[in-house]
Amino acid sequence: MKALKVFVLGLLVFSLLMAGCAQQEKPKPAPTPTPTATVAKTPTPEKPKVETLYIGATISLTGKFSKEGQMVLWGMQVAKKWINEKHGGIKVGDKIYKVEIKYYDDQSNKEVVKSLVEKLAVQDGVKFMLAPYSSGLTLAAAPIAEKYGVLMNSHGGASDYIFEQGYYYVVQTLSPASKYQTGFLEMIKNIDPNAKKVAMVYEDTEFSRSVFKAAREYAEKNGFEIVFDKTYPKGVQDLSPLLNELKASNPDIIIGGGHFADGQLLASQLAELKINVKAISILVAPALPKFYDALGTKAEGISAPAQWETGVSYSPEAAKKLGVDYFGPTQEEFLQMFKEVSKSDELPSYHAAEAAAAVLSYAYAIEKAKSIKPEDVREVMNNVEFMTFFGMWKIDPDTGKQIGHDMVIIQWQGGEKKIIWPPEAANSEPYYPIPTWEEKEQGKLAKP
Amino acid sequence: MVFAENLISNLFYGALLGSIYGVATMGLSLIFGVLRIVNVGHGAFIMIGAFTAFWMFTLYSLPPVAVIPIALVFGLAIGFIAFQAVIRRLVDAPELSTLLATFGIGIFIEELAKLVWGADYVGFSWDIGTLYLGPVTVSYSKILAFFCSVLVAALLYLWFTKTKLGNAIRAVVQDREGAVVCGINVNRIFALSFSIGIGLTVLSGVLVTLFVPVGINVYMGGDYTLKAFVISVLGGLDSPWGAFIAGFLFGLFENGSYAILGLIPGVEPFALTRFVAFAFLLIILLVKPTGLLGGGE
Repeated sequence: MKALKVFVLGLLVFSLLMAGCAQQEKPKPAPTPTPTATVAKTPTPEKPKVETLYIGATISLTGKFSKEGQMVLWGMQVAKKWINEKHGGIKVGDKIYKVEIKYYDDQSNKEVVKSLVEKLAVQDGVKFMLAPYSSGLTLAAAPIAEKYGVLMNSHGGASDYIFEQGYYYVVQTLSPASKYQTGFLEMIKNIDPNAKKVAMVYEDTEFSRSVFKAAREYAEKNGFEIVFDKTYPKGVQDLSPLLNELKASNPDIIIGGGHFADGQLLASQLAELKINVKAISILVAPALPKFYDALGTKAEGISAPAQWETGVSYSPEAAKKLGVDYFGPTQEEFLQMFKEVSKSDELPSYHAAEAAAAVLSYAYAIEKAKSIKPEDVREVMNNVEFMTFFGMWKIDPDTGKQIGHDMVIIQWQGGEKKIIWPPEAANSEPYYPIPTWEEKEQGKLAKP
Repeated sequence: MVFAENLISNLFYGALLGSIYGVATMGLSLIFGVLRIVNVGHGAFIMIGAFTAFWMFTLYSLPPVAVIPIALVFGLAIGFIAFQAVIRRLVDAPELSTLLATFGIGIFIEELAKLVWGADYVGFSWDIGTLYLGPVTVSYSKILAFFCSVLVAALLYLWFTKTKLGNAIRAVVQDREGAVVCGINVNRIFALSFSIGIGLTVLSGVLVTLFVPVGINVYMGGDYTLKAFVISVLGGLDSPWGAFIAGFLFGLFENGSYAILGLIPGVEPFALTRFVAFAFLLIILLVKPTGLLGGGE
């Protein structure tokens, strides 16, 4: 009897769990039928034949990456909408493929990612996939995609380490981690050659380690002096001991961070300990509007690298100047379609843009390859170079790493997020040196 | 000299952090002590407290200190509902059932919170100035968090030792059957203890925001749950005061060891502070297997 009770309770808990998951999948469009193979035929009398191409993905709709996951889903849906409605589907020979997204919630969990990627590859027979969000999850997914010869496009896994494993079927759409903080150092070198002392304080995770390994190399090559270089563990509640030590090293600039929570914590505790420097660049957190909401004027002058920002000037004209193709919606179209898809006034974050660009890159490469075989498309990807609203797309043929796309640097100026670097993409001048914490308390803004 | 300064300031920061750890664990220990139920969904209640502070500040400009009593009442209510709806039926159930149930409650609360509040990392800025004390620079809000924690622990102690209800709860902790024989309505004590345990946990969420007012997110509780388990084992599992003292010590060791580890060349001190804190746990348990203030067995 007791065993029965335990069992019933277990079932109840399980169904509760499932109900939670189901609730999160609500924004799903009409349920997509499970394809028995990649291509399911939809009978149409006219020529050319219209078929369906499934792009698979594991998306973090619950768990710690659920915010990003939601953006990723919307981004993918915008790309799908553009391809199917504006572009008229992917044209391959006498066939037209309409794109459908086949996705599952990976709960931001490595183990779940592994089984879902396998399910997509084996049971659903998907041949093109978007990697999950974050470097950690992408690292978990990549070997499985490689094993089944499924092409996997990383839109949220920036770590260079992923592309140093020798995978053939894994390619990247976003800039690799190694580019994240080097742009900021380059900017400092340009505007103040005397600012030499750099402090690095970052999260001990795969992504941050990649970022700061590259930043360290760049700094050393370019005459910076690294006066502090320490990590903090994930899930930390108090950075005071670390920042106390950092303060004593008396740096000119601070580069640091990891993800959202620790980025906010870092900025907040730099303020608390009154550690004044000329410039601060923190990964990820400041690129989101909530950063300013949470910190108020303390956020003034803080910079962050970003893969994409609303207002970045990639357009068909810009592509024409560079002599490359432009593919996908323009920025205005993307913003408009994003609004329709998300049914909210929320602006797309770069996560949405990355995911959309990854889907677009498949469509572009498939049309170029004139084939929907992953190996043919992968081969063609080695040689394509084109622009989307997200920026350039070109991979390193040996590693699959993105080498075409450029990062931008944003800075909080007078409550607004401005693009300050590189000059060709900027919509404001860098504010340098940034106001001190005491000045910010008095209400001083970093407005040029 | 630099080392001494670092050590002093880190011990100071550790004491402040430890007091928060302490209060954030007391509810867990109380519930385990009385009901013998491990609340795996503990962190979700801390998150509720943090969001209560955030919304009260954002909507009504109420400072977190003023939100403490509100959070306590709110927590008591949530605790009572959770007890009546789920826990009441599981008091004498096998551990697996209670583990699953509390785990389920935790996930249910987190996902419900996400549905209502979204998955953003939010925060607020409540500046009441900074204290400069020798090598120590610290915001007054953290000091306030410390004093509030100590006050909460002290009040709870007084309530437990000086009131009839408090004594009844202690009697149930010591000997459930004996308490029944003495005419104590054990079921009422269960409901009360669970509600107080959850009330305390939600309240500690407010104190967490006094300490760190940013990074508030529906999944923030996970990190605290893990630490709360360790601290409650250290404190002796069924003793809320033991939990408070253990939390305090845990904070001291976590932050204090930073200065010492920093002297070793080539190591990342922060990566090792947790190791030191856990090693300390191991040593305490070797010396006193029932934890700092754990009794019996």
